[in-house]
Amino acid sequence: MKKIITLLLVLSLAFSLFAGGSAEKNETVKKDIITMAIPVDPDGLDPQLTASASTFQISSNIYETLITVDDKGEIIPALASSWSVSEDGLAITFVLRDGAVFSNGNPCDSLAVKASFDRLTSDISVRRADYSFITSIETPNANTIVFKMDKLNVAALSSFAYPWAAVVDASAENLRNKPVGTGPYVLTSWTAQQDLVLDLNKDYPYEVKNEGVRFVIMPDLTAEITALNAKEVDLILITGDLASAVENKGYNIISVAGNGLQLMAMNSSNKALSDIRVRQAINYAVNKDEVIEAVWWGYGKKIGSHFPVVLKDYVDYSENYSYNPEKAKELLAEAGYANGLTLRMDLPKNYQEYVNAGIVIAQSLKKVGITVDINIVEWAYWLSEVYVGRNYDLTVVGHTGRLDPYALLVKYLSYGNENYFNYANSEVDALLEKYQSELKDSKRSEYVKRIQEILANEVPALYIQDPIQIFVAQSDIFGFKAYPINIYQMKEVYRTK
Amino acid sequence: MLKYALKRLLSSLAVIFFVTLITFFVISVIPGDQAILALGLDATQESLDTLRSSLGLDRPFVVRYFEWLVDAIKLNFGYSAVYGESVVKLIASRLPVTFSLTVFSILIASIFSSLLGLIAALNKGKVSDGIIRTSVLVISSLPSFWVSLIALIVFCGKLNLFPVNGYIAPNESFFGFLRSITLASFILAFGELALMTRMFRSSLVRSLADDYMISCDVKGLKRSRALLHYAARSAIIAPITLIGNQAAKLFGGTVIVETVFSLPGIGRLLLVSVEQHDIALLEGVVLFITLMVVLMNFLTDMSVALADPLIRLSGGEAK
Amino acid sequence: MKKRNYSLYVGLFLISIIVLLFVLSFIYLPYSVDEMDIKNRFAPPNGEHLLGTDHFGRDIFSRILVSTRSALLVSVSSVLIGATFGLILGAIAALSPIAIETIIMRFVDALMAFPGILSAMMLSAVLGKGVINASIAISFFMVPVFARLSYSMILENRKKGYVKAARSYGASTVRLVVFHMLPDMFTRLITQLSASIGTAILTESSLSFLGLGIQPPGASLGLMLSEAKGYVLTKPYQALCPGIVLSIAVLGFCMLGDGINSYLQGDISYE
Repeated sequence: MKKIITLLLVLSLAFSLFAGGSAEKNETVKKDIITMAIPVDPDGLDPQLTASASTFQISSNIYETLITVDDKGEIIPALASSWSVSEDGLAITFVLRDGAVFSNGNPCDSLAVKASFDRLTSDISVRRADYSFITSIETPNANTIVFKMDKLNVAALSSFAYPWAAVVDASAENLRNKPVGTGPYVLTSWTAQQDLVLDLNKDYPYEVKNEGVRFVIMPDLTAEITALNAKEVDLILITGDLASAVENKGYNIISVAGNGLQLMAMNSSNKALSDIRVRQAINYAVNKDEVIEAVWWGYGKKIGSHFPVVLKDYVDYSENYSYNPEKAKELLAEAGYANGLTLRMDLPKNYQEYVNAGIVIAQSLKKVGITVDINIVEWAYWLSEVYVGRNYDLTVVGHTGRLDPYALLVKYLSYGNENYFNYANSEVDALLEKYQSELKDSKRSEYVKRIQEILANEVPALYIQDPIQIFVAQSDIFGFKAYPINIYQMKEVYRTK
Repeated sequence: MLKYALKRLLSSLAVIFFVTLITFFVISVIPGDQAILALGLDATQESLDTLRSSLGLDRPFVVRYFEWLVDAIKLNFGYSAVYGESVVKLIASRLPVTFSLTVFSILIASIFSSLLGLIAALNKGKVSDGIIRTSVLVISSLPSFWVSLIALIVFCGKLNLFPVNGYIAPNESFFGFLRSITLASFILAFGELALMTRMFRSSLVRSLADDYMISCDVKGLKRSRALLHYAARSAIIAPITLIGNQAAKLFGGTVIVETVFSLPGIGRLLLVSVEQHDIALLEGVVLFITLMVVLMNFLTDMSVALADPLIRLSGGEAK
Repeated sequence: MKKRNYSLYVGLFLISIIVLLFVLSFIYLPYSVDEMDIKNRFAPPNGEHLLGTDHFGRDIFSRILVSTRSALLVSVSSVLIGATFGLILGAIAALSPIAIETIIMRFVDALMAFPGILSAMMLSAVLGKGVINASIAISFFMVPVFARLSYSMILENRKKGYVKAARSYGASTVRLVVFHMLPDMFTRLITQLSASIGTAILTESSLSFLGLGIQPPGASLGLMLSEAKGYVLTKPYQALCPGIVLSIAVLGFCMLGDGINSYLQGDISYE
């Protein structure tokens, strides 16, 4: 309880400090370099060739998307100064800001934007499938670009705000290593596993509150905190278990519930797990509060369905199967597993928190007679064998949210290719199909809420929590915000005198 | 001697061929590849197949290996999939770190161990011998990852003697560069100390007890002269082999220390290339490390041959 | 007066501590290794938990007891396997015609050239993880060391007088190796064996530290240290006990090797 109160305090403090921005006006901004510690190198700086969050956190400062979002998730202008959606919803028109140029001097006109999106939908692109809804791109004049589609897609507009839809100079060579964009910064140097230095982009027309940014790569979180204490870095991202190391030291702590969720998936193609009673038993057997406390030190919001708490149609199902080991044993006996059951749990090694969560859950399951064999695997192995191969019983993983809930929930489309749960429910399928072409907001909310309810009852997974991100900044660093998509807007960060 | 050297050179090429082939094979067989890592949680079978074929990863590994090999023979080592940078440049940028770490730690270890070994051998069986042997053993037995963590907290965190922020390039500030690798070098040297001191000591003890030392005594040679010219010379063979091996081992074995101290060395590059299935980079790093080890072995064998008249005079046939 | 061989005694003493913990783990285990008590995590040493609890509220003392099992079993078995293969390989190389010698020793070079961390990752990917596979992986690391040892010792020995003498009265190669060279090699071998067990314990803990060895919720000193690593700043005590026990184990075997070396060499002076 104490944790929650402090959390609320911290949250409200964070909002009062960072939400308005009017309070900061009086303070004198000192133009300076901001140093931020990050755990790993980006997976190259070409946003179209990777799905890695480590790339987008940095690339979102070098490239611009046509539109972007503020910290509340509202769409705001970026490279495009205005936009409009046609009556039938089948065409989106963007008007580019005047005189935009790439950092290499090439003009960023509608043709350049078209070239960038042609590249995004080509074979080399990782996100090709996400933009296959675009049937043609027209460029009536140098400042205007029109995207046309033949089928209504309600998530189309927001898909232009994601960092992978950033406009790149498609004519430039080797963007992974030499990014060319129109954003507030340009990459000056990148020494792998050491640092990335971003200098100001002279041609960027809007205000940037610092002189440049240096991202230092520090794989060890303890080293990051030590560096923060030694004032060698200004800003770090930590996990809940280390929060006590930075509390009461005068640091600015920004902790916000992220747009994401963490869960333990249960493979419905496993004979035991295909029985809803076994899945319910597993949900009853695990004390989620204890898992959140043990792994994230209470920095998380308990959930009961596949939906982040920060999205607008969220319904609270977190108490749907509250902790009840006796009930779990009963259900298991009913399902014919009174004498026990053995399941394998694959955990991705590079996510220590998922590994920890898996260990705690395995211990709870042991108490109701389910033996769990833990197998810790490399990320690449996990992706190919567990996620795409769907060859697993149990696994713990997190999903980051999108601006539109469809991308989250499509994982439960029985014939969908992202359904690694092997879950099948015809009502969910029908709702998802209707959602894509529904123009009325209220109807769409209704569908989303119904899907949440079905998932909360049928539990194809053990839904654990929506994680809370904790950013720690030096006492003189302000302006850092967390966004509902995984980007850092470093141009807003400044040091006070 | 020349014939021996040539032979060793040829067989070294075979070693390199097999090591790179095995690496390529294993990394291709392990589930997961560059395409699936790029796609991450957005991977589907369809997107995976498209990306694989556009990256050429769907071809059999033998074909890809020989393509790599042909390019490598032409000294074209390709580009890293993760960094987009040329493999040669990436390795070159890491060399100063790993090279200095290796050289410094071996230097530190050699100086301390030869001194301590000499003192111990001369005072064989006395208290100082026991103290030296015990203390180097204690130092070397401490697990390096544990010592690194403790050192990081004490020297960097509490005492602020060294930067936590890892590495400072020598062209930025040479002093800063030295400072940033000092702790790591010492910790690596600690690990080598016991083995090297023991080797120095026991070879010295053995050669001091050897027949020719008695003959030196009989001939009335001065003890110091006998020690330097005869005992030390024959006693040096085993330690040379050891130093060579340890230096070679360190080239690929600094990864834990590099990780804890955030030093951008070859070890961490290797770790990343395996985790990211970055085949071009992995092959480049493995090739480089193998080259170093083979070279080091070659040099030690040569210097052993030079130091041991019996091997040298038999024309290196060593039989 | 007789001077004591301290290394031998201290080594034996330290190893007996580890063996005692090992035996104790089968007789008396205060808590199960995976029993959690979240509310009671990071407890300092107290009456209930002799060495306190870890980040999941698990009993550190019990986990250390069980860790000595994997440490001893993995290290001893891997050294025995690795040494057997290595010595045979080295001996064959030293006694064979030049072509075979070259092939074997280049193979050993290749094994040695292979970066340890890479072979560990590859072996764990090919073999899988766990106690038995960790032993096999570590024994791979041991092969080249012992192969080079027996190879170089045989080469050195064949120059010595007694070998030539034995040859001159027509002793067979096998007889020469078994009855004449082996005893001479014995001191170096036993030193290397004992030290290798120490190294193997270190290697096992390093592998587990990197997540390639013993899998959670099992217990290994390396795994405990890797879990403690995340809290070294806030709860430095976590890294203390497993680190000390690990050091005692490694130190014990290294000192034992050293002690045996002095003992067999007659290195102890009598005054």
